[in-house]
Amino acid sequence: MLTINKTAEKSHLTIGLQGEVDASNSVELDEVIQEALNDNIKNILVDGTELQYISSAGLGVFMSYLEDFNEHNILFIIYGLNEKVMNVFHILGLDQLITITDNREEAEKLVHEA
Amino acid sequence: MVKLPQIQRGKIYILLAVLSWMGLLLVNLIRVFGEINQMEGVISKEITWVLEILFFIWLYIYFNDSIKKNENRNFIDFIWRPASTGLIATGTSFLIIFFYYLLGDSRLSKDLLLMNFFYHVNFAVVSIFLISTTLSWKHLILYQKSKAIVQQWQAYEVILLISMFFVLISQASFNYGFMFGLIFLIIYGAILSINLKWIPYLTFREKWKSILFMVIIIACTLYLFFRLVSYTQQNIHFVNLSENLFLLGLFVFVLLYAIFSLLVTLFNLPTSSVFEQKLTEAISFQKLSQSIKPGENEEQVLDILMDSCMSAAYVDAGWLELHPTEPEESSIIQLQKFISNSERQEVLEFLRKVEPFASYLTKQSTIKKEYLYGQISHETYKSVLVLSVSANKKSLGNIFLLKEVKDGFNKEMINIITTFVGQTSISIENHRLLNEAIKNERYREELEIAQRVQRSLLPSELHHNNSFEIDGFSAAADEVGGDYYETFRFDNENFALIIGDVSGKGTSAAFNMSQMKGVFHSLVQLNFSPKKFLSKANSALNRCLEKNNFITTTYYTINTALKEIHFARAGHCPTLFYSQSLGCSRFLNIKGMGLGIVRNEGYENYLEEGYLEYQPGDVMVMYTDGIVEAKNQENQEFGYDKLRLLLDHYKALSAKEIKSKIVDEVYDFVGRETLPDDDYSILVIKFNA
Repeated sequence: MLTINKTAEKSHLTIGLQGEVDASNSVELDEVIQEALNDNIKNILVDGTELQYISSAGLGVFMSYLEDFNEHNILFIIYGLNEKVMNVFHILGLDQLITITDNREEAEKLVHEA
Repeated sequence: MVKLPQIQRGKIYILLAVLSWMGLLLVNLIRVFGEINQMEGVISKEITWVLEILFFIWLYIYFNDSIKKNENRNFIDFIWRPASTGLIATGTSFLIIFFYYLLGDSRLSKDLLLMNFFYHVNFAVVSIFLISTTLSWKHLILYQKSKAIVQQWQAYEVILLISMFFVLISQASFNYGFMFGLIFLIIYGAILSINLKWIPYLTFREKWKSILFMVIIIACTLYLFFRLVSYTQQNIHFVNLSENLFLLGLFVFVLLYAIFSLLVTLFNLPTSSVFEQKLTEAISFQKLSQSIKPGENEEQVLDILMDSCMSAAYVDAGWLELHPTEPEESSIIQLQKFISNSERQEVLEFLRKVEPFASYLTKQSTIKKEYLYGQISHETYKSVLVLSVSANKKSLGNIFLLKEVKDGFNKEMINIITTFVGQTSISIENHRLLNEAIKNERYREELEIAQRVQRSLLPSELHHNNSFEIDGFSAAADEVGGDYYETFRFDNENFALIIGDVSGKGTSAAFNMSQMKGVFHSLVQLNFSPKKFLSKANSALNRCLEKNNFITTTYYTINTALKEIHFARAGHCPTLFYSQSLGCSRFLNIKGMGLGIVRNEGYENYLEEGYLEYQPGDVMVMYTDGIVEAKNQENQEFGYDKLRLLLDHYKALSAKEIKSKIVDEVYDFVGRETLPDDDYSILVIKFNA
């Protein structure tokens, strides 16, 4: 089960992920990110505090947008991942490519600094 | 051997019947001769009666037998037989009259013995006619028989048998007993004669034939009856054979059944077409439900539907309009019957103007009705019935039926047509389901082939030497999976080892896995360092992996002479290593990045190369994320810690045993009954020297 909440704030868009991202619902995540790209949003924050699990298909979604983020100078930050999910990012090496912060404040700080 | 008496049985009966008749003739002639010459009591009357009874019985048995052989004949044959026999009997009778006419006033014409001889001939043909006709009637009465009717008939046969012997009991003619018996026979015969279930099954033509034959039978019966009676009145010296209860009873029965049949057939004539119509409808139903067999197309069933509808309601013209399969195409007009294109356009124009058709034809999806019925003011066609044909809740098209009369479709016709349409829908649905099932079966077979091919991609034997044991296990969640491991031997001391996991699962993962195998075999021969190997593999895979696909892998090179391992991790689960000297296991966590994630030259920067020296007793466990992410009923993951503790516990066992223990543990954790939701793979190396 995956619930995605989009909250548009003044400086950024927050995508809240609740539950598990797997092969069956990774398309939903993909659509949300694609939409944000289409809307020309420059700062995207992903709230991962409620994310319980992410499969390789879910990681594939983040991975596939890395080039787009670089190309369009988009600040993409994931924050609040629990240890287990963080480990998944770490093992794959995605933490070397995506900015991952511990909490919302840090993430927002990065947005303001940019 | 068994068949021989069967064939001759009929002949024996005829022979016996002829013998009894000849005996009867002889006895009676002697009696008449004696009577003329006043020589009383030469032969007693009883012999006459007994011979007469025997003659009847043999005839009855013979005809009963011969009719049984022809039981599958149609009804008209059963009526034609008595009619022809009647004509022959009447003909014989006329011949006798003609013979006497030729004799004129000669002495021979007054001869009593000759007269008696002809009387016997007449008697014989009448008996044959009556008995064979009775048995034909029996067959007709017992059509669609029930137990009650069969019992009634058997009782009638018993009564007939008794009536034969009546003459022996009471010799006086036309006394009360005789009259009572006759009346009883008449009433019983009349009751039996109401069994006329065969008549509705005759076609219109056959009914006319049947009426003709019945008239012949009635005429013959009446003529023969009066002929016999006239003999009785003309002759003084003669043995009366016709004053027999059996014969009179049969006369009445044959006549009654013929009259009843005639009348019923006559009154059935006007409704005959209705019955035939219903029969055609039933056959149409059968055709509709059986018409589509695998390999045949839907058009044939629609054709049958169209024909059935048109014949069921005496439709003058019609056509079938199929909705286009693609939205931009126009509808297909099919099965246009008895109407020209221009006329069809005209009718459509009228329909667009008149309700309820107008709203249906313009916005089709809104109205869900089985049929639409109404009148139009077209010059030829006055009433219209439009039906929607659908399958799987999707409308296929419309049937347009036109009649030249106003109010041409009554409720029954519409009912039958809508059922035809319903049946067609079911037939088409079944046909489609069947086709789909066949297709799915083919897919399944293809998948089985894929499974076999993929199994062969995993090595059946893993390279090693005496310094270490190695054992592996792999199971896919779906028919095919994305896990991969392989070994390679450079020389006696140098080995390469790879374990990998393709993102996602199922068929797409399996395809990428086979690419990985290709990349491995191309690059491994170049004997790169693990870091270089992965960097090259990344650039090779960048060109073939889809944007959101990646592969995680760890590549190892082992030198058993130096007892050292070099390895690099491309985003794969960290290797679990048990060190004999440390006395515990740990994960070899080095920096790494999955293949296909960074698709440029900078990839190598994200990699790190690990190095370790091993000792005898050390164990290395390589696995895919399916193992550590395996979930139990409470949605808990198997986890890294559990794996580490397991190795600590089983480190002393052989590589094969360690592998089995871990695999068993994982399956126990998940629950044996639940299907795995990811691919599981594990590779265990135990260093011995």
